[in-house]
Amino acid sequence: MKKTIAVVSVGIRQMLADPLYLVFALAVPLLMTWVMSFLPTGDGSYEMAILGVLVMFVGLNIITSAGGYIIDEKQTGTWQRILASPTSYWELMTGYFIKIFVLAWLQSLVLLLSSKYLFGAPWNQGYLEVVVVLTVYIFAMTGLGLFIAGFVKSTGQVQMVAMAVVMVGTMLGGVFFPIEEPSGIIKLIGTVSPQSWAARALQEILTSGINLTTLVTPLLWMSAIGLLLLIGGVLKLQLES
Amino acid sequence: MKALLEVKDLKKSFGSRQAVDGISFEVEEGDVFGLLGPNGAGKSTTLSMICGLLKANSGSVTVGGYDIAAESMAAKKLIGIVPQEPALYTQLSAKANLRFWGRINGLRGKELNRAVDEVLDLVGLTDRASGRIGKFSGGMKRRLNIAAGLIHSPKLLIMDEPTVGIDPQSRNHILETVKNLKQKGITVIYTSHYVEEVEALCNQVAIMDNGTIIAEGSLAELQKKGGQFQELNIDLNSYPEKAQSAIQMLPGVEETFLIDQKLKIVTPNAEQILPLALEAISRQGVTIGEIKIHKPNLESLFLKLTGKALRD
Ligand SMILES: Nc1ncnc2c1ncn2[C@@H]1O[C@H](COP(=O)(O)OP(=O)(O)OP(=O)(O)O)[C@@H](O)[C@H]1O
Ligand SMILES: [Mg+2]
Repeated sequence: MKKTIAVVSVGIRQMLADPLYLVFALAVPLLMTWVMSFLPTGDGSYEMAILGVLVMFVGLNIITSAGGYIIDEKQTGTWQRILASPTSYWELMTGYFIKIFVLAWLQSLVLLLSSKYLFGAPWNQGYLEVVVVLTVYIFAMTGLGLFIAGFVKSTGQVQMVAMAVVMVGTMLGGVFFPIEEPSGIIKLIGTVSPQSWAARALQEILTSGINLTTLVTPLLWMSAIGLLLLIGGVLKLQLES
Repeated sequence: MKALLEVKDLKKSFGSRQAVDGISFEVEEGDVFGLLGPNGAGKSTTLSMICGLLKANSGSVTVGGYDIAAESMAAKKLIGIVPQEPALYTQLSAKANLRFWGRINGLRGKELNRAVDEVLDLVGLTDRASGRIGKFSGGMKRRLNIAAGLIHSPKLLIMDEPTVGIDPQSRNHILETVKNLKQKGITVIYTSHYVEEVEALCNQVAIMDNGTIIAEGSLAELQKKGGQFQELNIDLNSYPEKAQSAIQMLPGVEETFLIDQKLKIVTPNAEQILPLALEAISRQGVTIGEIKIHKPNLESLFLKLTGKALRD
């Protein structure tokens, strides 16, 4: 357990000390949240856009840091050095998992609080539900990130996959602009995209207030898929090391 | 007494390539064991299997009596590694890195603080402890890399080519550090393709090529095997042929070769021949430039066994 904490703490400090990471995970989404606040309020597209920025950047952050970080550590050799010490693979992976979770939650909090207090987004209810939905979303994305880490060889490839999955899920999922009369494939993307689902759920929770019981089915689905991906990725990574 | 490290018939292939092909050796406590071999010989692969990072296809490794596969945690506690490339967190300070590697190896509290100060001192980085290592020179990173391997006072330190590609000053510092460790009784496996380093540091040596050990023994034994003949090279300034025929007559000269103005004399004892040769040359009225004695070493042993040079 103490070794897991060491992995979490060194990982978080290494990320937060990296200016590129801070720009990508915080500065850019903050800027975009600010830009979105010029959208007209009233018809809900403003709220949806702000939450879209949030789920998009949280998704990108998780996948690139889950996948990229492990590949990076394998290349510099810190991964091997940890495994050559009396630290088990499970202690190490638990550490990575917690680290990604903590970073994603920190990022979400910064974006949610700043959109409310700096840019005047009308969030005033359903905080518990937000925690549940975001936690499940972050969990599913972490599973996806670790799964990708098990199958991809370079950080460049991780970025490409992250872009593809998250951008397609956000843009074609109808998060930033409503898609009228969607064709079959677009409709499918809108239904299965975690970004589309999470942004919509968050918007409804924060603005009109809905009960968790109506979200049970998608929440379970997301958790189950996240878990499968997580197990697949973790086992694949163990096979390789 | 049982050896600290026992490697038995270790094999590893990558696809169709047999990187390590059945090697066995033992390292006694207190040894500085040199693993010498050219690029691609299989040194790093062997080390990875010894510290449990790579699964061998067959064979076994025991450290302090613990099998690296079956009792890996106990075995790993005894090992410290210094990877070929510095494996450190570049965004963090030297101290933060060492604290992390200490924790990962089970150190806590005062014990951890003491260990960090000790290894920083050992590699001469105490005054750079709080510097971010992304800004360190290559040599400093390598020194910190060694400190990280020593943080938990391992019984066996495994060093993979710790001096490749660094400035002479850092290199000397690292060689001094290893001598220091030897004095403290730490057992070291030192991998290199620099003959001079292995000759300066190690008491036991194994020479690897193409995944197998082609020679093994104490440094002195192997140096002796390198050949009974020494080479005396003399650059001549004039009438080289006259000098050659005079020297050819001397007792104890096996053979002579003349390449341009350079005379190569093959002999069992160069020091004995040297004054006689100089006398003979000057009697011919020939003046000389440079003189070099080439003694048999691990390099010539390698050349003899494989017909190729250790370094390109
Ligand atoms: N992960 C791997 N996959 C495929 N081949 C590998 C792998 N690791 C090593 N090899 C091959 O195994 C052989 C031995 O490599 P190894 O790195 O052990 O040599 P080395 O003696 O450490 O060389 P160097 O002095 O260059 O570090 C090489 O031919 C190398 O290409
Ligand atoms: Mg190597």
